[in-house]
Amino acid sequence: MVPILGNITLWLSLFFAIFQFFISKKNKKIKSIKIGIFGLLACSIISFFLLMFLHVVSDFSVLNVFQNSHTTKPLLYKISGVWGNHEGSMLLWILVLTIFNYFIYKLYNNNNSILILKTLEIQAFITIGFILFTILTSNPFETMSPIQNEGLGFNPILQDPALAIHPPLLYIGYVGFSAAFSIGVATLNLENNNNIPWHRYMKPFVIAAWTFLTIGIAFGSIWAYYELGWGGWWFWDPVENASFMPWLLGTALLHSLLVVEKKKSLQSWVILLSILAFLLSVLGTFLVRSGILTSVHTFALDPSRGIYILIFTAILGSYSLILFGLKSKKYFNTNYFSFFSKEGSILINNILMVIVCSTVFLGTIYPLLIEAFTNNKISVGTPYYNSTIVPIMIPAILIMGIGPILSWGKVDIFRTLKKIFPNILLTGVITLLVFLYYQSYSFIGIVGIILAFWIIFNNMTLLFRKKENLSSGMLIAHLGIGLLILGITGSSVWQIEKIIRMKVNNEIKIEKYNIAFKEINQIKGPNYIALQGSFFVYDEKKKIIAKLKPENRYYPVTNNFTTETSIHTNLLGDLYIVLGEGNIDEGWVVRIYYNPLVAWIWIGALTIFLGGIVSMNYNLKQIRRLS
Amino acid sequence: MIKKQLLTLPSIFFLLILLIFFYLLIIDRNPSEIPSALLNKNVPKFETTSLLTEKKFISSDIFRGEIKLVNFFATWCKPCRDEHNYIKLFDNQEALEVIGVNYKDNPQKAIKWLRELGNPYSNIAVDKKGRIAIDWGVYGIPETFIVNSKGIIKYRHAGPITKKIYKKIIFIINEIE
Repeated sequence: MVPILGNITLWLSLFFAIFQFFISKKNKKIKSIKIGIFGLLACSIISFFLLMFLHVVSDFSVLNVFQNSHTTKPLLYKISGVWGNHEGSMLLWILVLTIFNYFIYKLYNNNNSILILKTLEIQAFITIGFILFTILTSNPFETMSPIQNEGLGFNPILQDPALAIHPPLLYIGYVGFSAAFSIGVATLNLENNNNIPWHRYMKPFVIAAWTFLTIGIAFGSIWAYYELGWGGWWFWDPVENASFMPWLLGTALLHSLLVVEKKKSLQSWVILLSILAFLLSVLGTFLVRSGILTSVHTFALDPSRGIYILIFTAILGSYSLILFGLKSKKYFNTNYFSFFSKEGSILINNILMVIVCSTVFLGTIYPLLIEAFTNNKISVGTPYYNSTIVPIMIPAILIMGIGPILSWGKVDIFRTLKKIFPNILLTGVITLLVFLYYQSYSFIGIVGIILAFWIIFNNMTLLFRKKENLSSGMLIAHLGIGLLILGITGSSVWQIEKIIRMKVNNEIKIEKYNIAFKEINQIKGPNYIALQGSFFVYDEKKKIIAKLKPENRYYPVTNNFTTETSIHTNLLGDLYIVLGEGNIDEGWVVRIYYNPLVAWIWIGALTIFLGGIVSMNYNLKQIRRLS
Repeated sequence: MIKKQLLTLPSIFFLLILLIFFYLLIIDRNPSEIPSALLNKNVPKFETTSLLTEKKFISSDIFRGEIKLVNFFATWCKPCRDEHNYIKLFDNQEALEVIGVNYKDNPQKAIKWLRELGNPYSNIAVDKKGRIAIDWGVYGIPETFIVNSKGIIKYRHAGPITKKIYKKIIFIINEIE
């Protein structure tokens, strides 16, 4: 019964999306469009919660539940299991799409009706594409017979709180760019003499998408850090890149929107960015779900899905980009501006972000290009990304520190120098102190620390001075970037790794910690059994500061092994222990990492998120004033 | 002033990339197939014990004469169970000997497992610590190799054997003959 209801609501949402598409195309009355918007929203909410219900009650007559759930699974993971698989995650994607659809509709008023109607038409087209994809190739409500008593279980490494909220946050990011895309394409369709401030409508969506993409990526990263047990938090996996690329373009888009607002420049550039950011989001989905690349995230290897998404991307991409080629000329202007100005710094930031994005894109698809043309297989790894991206990021971050201080138009170089001089001095002093403390002189380390404090001090002084009339959301987000760089530098330059075989009662020293292996026990969890090591951590004065208990878990249902790292964290660094294989006679292989300053990565990401929220709030208020 | 033609560049570039993706999707390819560094090289030498007979297993004695299919497996590995039926099919193949390498496993469990599912292996090397797997460049089991009559590795497949892979391996074996 419930699966049938689910199917009905899914088909109904397709109907409402088609309805919305045609009605907004014909510029009918807003009342009839309202039916489409609310029908679509209601149907997608209902179908999403129906699937959640099926997962919670463990209805194994549904193939999707059977394949991904199990009665012994904790409730939280029964719920997160809904979007922990390909079919269910498509329902979540559709849900977020329709919520954004609703927000676009909320912007409607008599002055902007042409723009918003066109936007809703394009948004409806995107929604139709994804609903059709779900119904045709990945229907989560597909039933099976005979009905099984027990499900196959859910991949245990996905049973984790951070990973439960990672996909929803990430999807708000990806799908948020769909709204920017639709507004961009609608703008291209406007007649010449329309004076609708389209960029003002685009901005809150871009901020929302970017903010949630940031925090979504951060949660994925945290998860990888403590769950995979590889000692790091970013691996340049194709799927990580697929989220990083829209983030980079989103960063460029966010900043150029300011230039459009203040200077009426860069309009066609902004439209192009809004198109590309969403296309990259969809292309990322394609790369992950078609099985064309192998990655740790690979969902389901079904070529028919790949072909579908590819065709859909081709339609979206060629329509929008060809339209851009034909119509963007009217948004060109010849306002040149000076290098030493806020808009100049934003333009340089844009160019650098696009270069970084292209570099990541090239690295991600290079193995595919090579295979298509030469039939050889290669893989592109971390060394490529480190050696190409770090040098481009350095000037970008240097400029980022000074950008907010510069004024629009002409800048008095002398006055600016006077303003930033104390910060240059402070940065220098702190960097010196850091190196006196760590006694380590890596070049990249020096550069990273300088950059981090450069950003932190510049934004701190602006935040507290507060007379510059700058958006505090922006300053908070920039401050977050500074903290993030601090964490990235610390953890990648000064990481200490020790892999040793330890028997019970052995001791080892890492950094300033003495670690003693006390005991190893078998324990039982709700749906797993585990071997748990117990490590006591002492400081230099032999005082005990932490007891770390890494585990090796075995999940009998799915027949999986996972490692649970145990981490002692403080603001200076993380002590990170992974229990490997072994036995009582020969001891266990233990991997111990000292990861300096990692906590600042998460603090930084949270700060950026906070800044984004503040800024979103501010922009929504402005829009309300507009109508 | 920017030339109008320049504005069509994004769309052209985009379509080219999509064409490549499309080509890769429709051709017959397996993204998890990784070329082995040992391809066309001699099998790494190793000595261990045989799982069932507990006699010495000396690689240089084993890898000559007939074509060998070498399969790394373990009882704790679910995909190994899935591909087991295909391994049995290889056992029926003439002029082919199937060698197992029991990777990081409990011997008693492995013996029980084979009794339950059937034993397609003519000889099984015990690789308790994963040392042999490292020499062979195995990075995750199951993995399957084909070794010709001179002891040279001709093919490597990472991941479980599926129908498609099964057919491919049969084809390669016939070709080597």
